[in-house]
Amino acid sequence: MNPDLPPASPRRGGGLADLLAGHRVLVCVGSGGVGKTTMAASLALAAALSGSRAIVLTIDPARRLADSLGVGPIGNAPRPVPLDPFPNAKGGSLDAMMLDQKGSWDALVERHAPTPEIAARIRKNPFYQQLSETFAGSQEYMAVEQLGALVASGRWDLVVVDTPPSQHAIDFLEAPQRLLGFLDRQVVRWFVSPTGGFGWSAFQAMNRTAGFLLRRLEEATGLATLGQVGDFFNDMSGLFDGFEERFHRVMGLLRDPATAFLLVASPDEQVLGQVEFLSGRMAAMEMPLKGVIMNRVHDAGLAPGLERLGDAERRDLLEAGLRGQQPDGEDLAGRLLANLKAHQVRARGDALRIENFRDDLGLDTPLLQVPELDGDVHDLRSLAGLHRYLLAEASATEVDGDAQIRS
Amino acid sequence: MREADPLARRLLFVVGKGGVGRTTIAVATALLAARRGARVLAVETDGAAALGRALVVLRSQHHPPPGIERVRHLVIEGQAALEEYLGLIIPIRRVLRAVFESGVYGAFVTAAPGLRELMTVGKIWYEVEGRAGEAEAPDFVVVDAPATGHGLQLLRMPQSAAEAFGVGLVRREAQRIVNLLRDDSRTAVLAVTTAEEMPVSETIEMLATLKRLQMPTPTVVLNQVHRSPCSEAELGVVERAAQVASGASRMLLQTAAELARTEARWAASGEHQAERLQEHVRGAIIRLPYLFSEEFGPIEQLKLTGALGDVLCPPPADVARPL
Repeated sequence: MNPDLPPASPRRGGGLADLLAGHRVLVCVGSGGVGKTTMAASLALAAALSGSRAIVLTIDPARRLADSLGVGPIGNAPRPVPLDPFPNAKGGSLDAMMLDQKGSWDALVERHAPTPEIAARIRKNPFYQQLSETFAGSQEYMAVEQLGALVASGRWDLVVVDTPPSQHAIDFLEAPQRLLGFLDRQVVRWFVSPTGGFGWSAFQAMNRTAGFLLRRLEEATGLATLGQVGDFFNDMSGLFDGFEERFHRVMGLLRDPATAFLLVASPDEQVLGQVEFLSGRMAAMEMPLKGVIMNRVHDAGLAPGLERLGDAERRDLLEAGLRGQQPDGEDLAGRLLANLKAHQVRARGDALRIENFRDDLGLDTPLLQVPELDGDVHDLRSLAGLHRYLLAEASATEVDGDAQIRS
Repeated sequence: MREADPLARRLLFVVGKGGVGRTTIAVATALLAARRGARVLAVETDGAAALGRALVVLRSQHHPPPGIERVRHLVIEGQAALEEYLGLIIPIRRVLRAVFESGVYGAFVTAAPGLRELMTVGKIWYEVEGRAGEAEAPDFVVVDAPATGHGLQLLRMPQSAAEAFGVGLVRREAQRIVNLLRDDSRTAVLAVTTAEEMPVSETIEMLATLKRLQMPTPTVVLNQVHRSPCSEAELGVVERAAQVASGASRMLLQTAAELARTEARWAASGEHQAERLQEHVRGAIIRLPYLFSEEFGPIEQLKLTGALGDVLCPPPADVARPL
């Protein structure tokens, strides 16, 4: 395939082209290390090349991918990605933005704190610093919050979201809920004094039993930071008023029919084991999975007639072809044969797992297979090279024919 | 002979990004230590279950691997460890229950990021040091630490705690844990990675963090190393042969050449990443082969265990090695 050309117009019903055209938000979920970031970038590029104004919100791209998208580790603003390598693009645009977790929290505080003094005080609070850097779920929450802001701006036709690396694909959807639970009014009330009489320190002094327990807790865990926690909640109380409302607005956006969730997975046994659980949970949350990208699929690429041949016959064929050549080492045919068999065994395992997975998934969810590519996909051309797998469901022979993409 | 034999320490942390085979390596070290006669405790933390599953599969084999009867398994849940710890601090059961049931406790636990990690390491400390003299106390504790970011949090917390609290009980406890983690006569770290860009970058960052934490210098394992099946010249030979051959022979040679080329490329890019990693590692990096298989099962687990054993516990030179 010539990467200079825009992708061929996809077949109707095949691939993810319809999904891209019919949605305003595309969320790529999946556990870490399966190529989510790459797929998100490639899909946003596909939308841009077909004429949409698209943006990809990435979380933690490999450095070279970040470089080619023009996003750095700092700065929380969308950057335009030049589409020069694609002279035939149909007038769309691509922006990329990297989620900087700490930066997003600061921006949130900046945006909603009642006064600059309070904003500054919050930022200096050690508990805030720890929360914004390490609290489980805060990265996910920030991604959701950022997504809401991007959609609200109205600047883009399609927002593609990469989600934070996690052990479980569902974390992205559940983590914000956990954070919300943490910031729940009931809990906040322990620390903040809503009417001036029932504050943290007042409470501690008033209630001797509770005071005793809390002192023991402080002592036991050394959490002298409880004071900081109280200060933090006091300062943040204004922010929390709108917090729940914003959160529910964004969750509503995620449930909107114009939002699609895509699972990115690899045919690894551990990854696939989670999927049944995942799709059940997502359906229960009214956020059904609308497509699956099976990435890093292994394929030996053997022509059908050759697959059935036994070892001895294959060896004969190889040796016949190599007759008269002068290889460096011993038994070149044997080594080639062993390598071929190894690839075949691995491909068979992938195929079996994908087949089982497809049975669990149900018929109407598209499943696209992307072969494992030797070499990092890190520039715009190689991202566009993925479109042949993503936009139209390639048949097995098509995949065989061009299993190698090179940048 | 390696300078620091990670199997000869009391406590081994196996760290690495998800998907690089960290759990497999943790299981391998448990089996190797058990084979040497150690009573082994294999630990995993919150939410993980892969280590336990791998051990169950190995135990259920028709011929379980030697030594596995000496491997015990423990899952440490931070929350439970915290409650256990508070039970020691607040011995009155009724009061303790009131604590657990109060909203304050929930707020307190969630409000203190890192508290669960601290308690998890505290529990590990107890298994390594606190049970000395007990008949069942383990000689070797291996921890399958969660994926890098979180795993480091586990190692960082005791230090943060020791620094944050000038005096008192927690300070003393945290300091004891820090002393154990930093003591390279008791503790070792094994960093696992594959030879790909992202995992190697994360490993390099992790090595720097471990150094800042004054942890023992890790032994580095490069897992899933590809090997080219033939030389560059041979690849040329095969590709030329494919051009002149005909029929099935030609098709087979073409596919064989392509697959050999693929492996050669994986090997070359892996070598490049290995060199990048080596710049940040003083000693030799342990290389374990990429295993082709239909699925990763007990056979593959034992193959890798054997390969790691060849490096970590080589047989004496005068003993002939079975093939």
